[in-house]
Amino acid sequence: MQPQENVEQFGYRQELRRGIGLSDLVFYGLIFMVPIAPFAIFGQVYKESHGMPALAYVIGMVALLFTAASYAQMVKAFPLSGSVYNYAGRGIAAPVGFMTGWAILLDYVLVPGLLYLVASIAMNATVPQVPVWAWVIIFVAINTVINLRGIRMTISLTKALITAELVVLGLFLSVGVWALLQGKGRGFNLTPLFNPDTFSWPVVFGAVSIAVLSFLGFDGISMLVEEAKGGSAQVGKAMRLALILAGVLFIVQVWVASLLVPDPAGLLAHGDKNGTAFYDTAAAAGGSWLAHIMSTATAISWGLADTLVAQVAVSRLLYAMARDRQLPSFLARVSVKHSVPANATLFIAALSTVLGVWMSSRKDGVTLLSSLINMGALIAFIVLHVSVIVHYVIRGRSTDLLAHLITPLVGMAILVFVVINANILAQVLGLIWLGVGVLVLAGLYIAGRRPSSAGLAVLEESR
Amino acid sequence: MSAMNRLPLYQDLYLIAHDQAGKPLINQPSLSLGLAGAVLLDLALTGRLDITHGRLAVYDRNPIGDMVADSLVPLILRDRTNRDTRFWIRKVAEDIYDRTCGGLVAAGVLTRVTRRRMGVMSQTRYPPTDVAPLVRARSGVRNAVEAVEQPDARCAALCGLVGVLRVEAALHLAQPSGQLVGRLRSIAREYPRPVNEVIGMVETLISEAAVALYR
Repeated sequence: MQPQENVEQFGYRQELRRGIGLSDLVFYGLIFMVPIAPFAIFGQVYKESHGMPALAYVIGMVALLFTAASYAQMVKAFPLSGSVYNYAGRGIAAPVGFMTGWAILLDYVLVPGLLYLVASIAMNATVPQVPVWAWVIIFVAINTVINLRGIRMTISLTKALITAELVVLGLFLSVGVWALLQGKGRGFNLTPLFNPDTFSWPVVFGAVSIAVLSFLGFDGISMLVEEAKGGSAQVGKAMRLALILAGVLFIVQVWVASLLVPDPAGLLAHGDKNGTAFYDTAAAAGGSWLAHIMSTATAISWGLADTLVAQVAVSRLLYAMARDRQLPSFLARVSVKHSVPANATLFIAALSTVLGVWMSSRKDGVTLLSSLINMGALIAFIVLHVSVIVHYVIRGRSTDLLAHLITPLVGMAILVFVVINANILAQVLGLIWLGVGVLVLAGLYIAGRRPSSAGLAVLEESR
Repeated sequence: MSAMNRLPLYQDLYLIAHDQAGKPLINQPSLSLGLAGAVLLDLALTGRLDITHGRLAVYDRNPIGDMVADSLVPLILRDRTNRDTRFWIRKVAEDIYDRTCGGLVAAGVLTRVTRRRMGVMSQTRYPPTDVAPLVRARSGVRNAVEAVEQPDARCAALCGLVGVLRVEAALHLAQPSGQLVGRLRSIAREYPRPVNEVIGMVETLISEAAVALYR
């Protein structure tokens, strides 16, 4: 381990056993991102990109590779488990860390609700007799019981689930390519990647603001920095690898699906109101059996596998912020009996049920939730780029301007353009959320509880 | 009761944290962290270890007459790089549960009972052979809570650990749980070092284990 990777220099102690290798880190990122994630939002991305979803995913991947580069720099500077909240707090200032944590909370807190909603829509496509809202309650109940019993994702379970998802994806691609060879769809062409008739930068960046949802979770790899065998260097490498792997898988699947959409004009004109565009495409390619396999795989991967990981991630963030006295302390309390963050789990379960049931009654429920989640993440990622510049160039007088100035500036510019072109409602709600965050921050100052970034592994003196 | 007849702190904690059928009242990793903290406190309260501000140092190599605690001192001395108390709590926690159980079986305090669940799955439990050691373990804590007698540092440590591990129901005291835990923690706070310091570390480690990504 390099000297700068000694967490003790930050007042923390090395607690977590270093035992996770590069492939485990990449698998963790992939299970969080879900290799078949585009199945659920394909219709939206197709419509918003005017039939060029592959291009939206290419730009999304490039944008987030820049973000991964900034993560790698901050993980190197502060090798602590605690997400972007820690890096902004330490790289810039504690109040900025609070606001970044507040922004990413929008992502982390809403993600389980979206996962349940998407899984429920997928199950409703297979078993329409059970309404979406009832599926939401079923998924929340199952996951809450699993989480409260202390059952967690293990490395071997992660690998098994990734393998299963890749098998399902392989099946779709095989049947899809076979269908195209049989003359179904519109044959092989480049329009999903570039269509000069419909291309414009605002259109594509608007679509990126939705497609980026599929990549969220790659940042979760940074939480394993204290357990990674190779430390921060390995975490940076794993983030890049996971993003490239997921990006290639996303691009290939939406490309094949775009060529097989049964009614492209209808999807472009009316959108994907039922959230079933991908399953309809699978049915057109191979029949209803393939559509059922795809929707069931989506339900299991989003509603069970991904929620298990997301629940732990949100618990860790709530725990870190509550222990720093920046959120109510009851969120930091854990159940000793089952060794689980019971309060955070129940809080998220209640919130997800309300959100999921409410959003299931709205036609734009998935779009709205995913836009809000993306908005929170994008704002946090923009601050992350700023953190690199402040920490290395302004404070550290770094001369490596490519890594510490140009790369974060380019990454930030892409993300700012994505935010500008996101849908208006998401922008308004994102600003309202940040406004509330400013009020909470002011309240903390008034109450004499100034933010301080102790993050995870806080020492006893914080008590 | 004389100190000579007393079980080590971690064995008392083990007895309190199990029901009479030998079933643990809480999750085993959390309990192991509590038992590990108790082993360190056994050594600190008998003057073998000094624990200050999260660091530990060996003061006295003489054995205290307990195999688990006495085997730890040479380990700490051999490992010159790690003086972090939290590191040693985690290290001791790795196998302390089985070692404590084994020690109590060897001493005749617990006995091995194997039975089949639903006629198929074999299950082994270690219930006490006699309730007297369990009653003794509980009585010190009960007396401290009810202010029958002034607790010494060892008793305060046991009170604090019972509170942190949330096994207060085993005391069978007619008090609301939250109030009882508050009282147990306040008793431990009367001995800030090393008792409350180690108990604070155990509590933090339990919380961190609960939010760990992989177990």
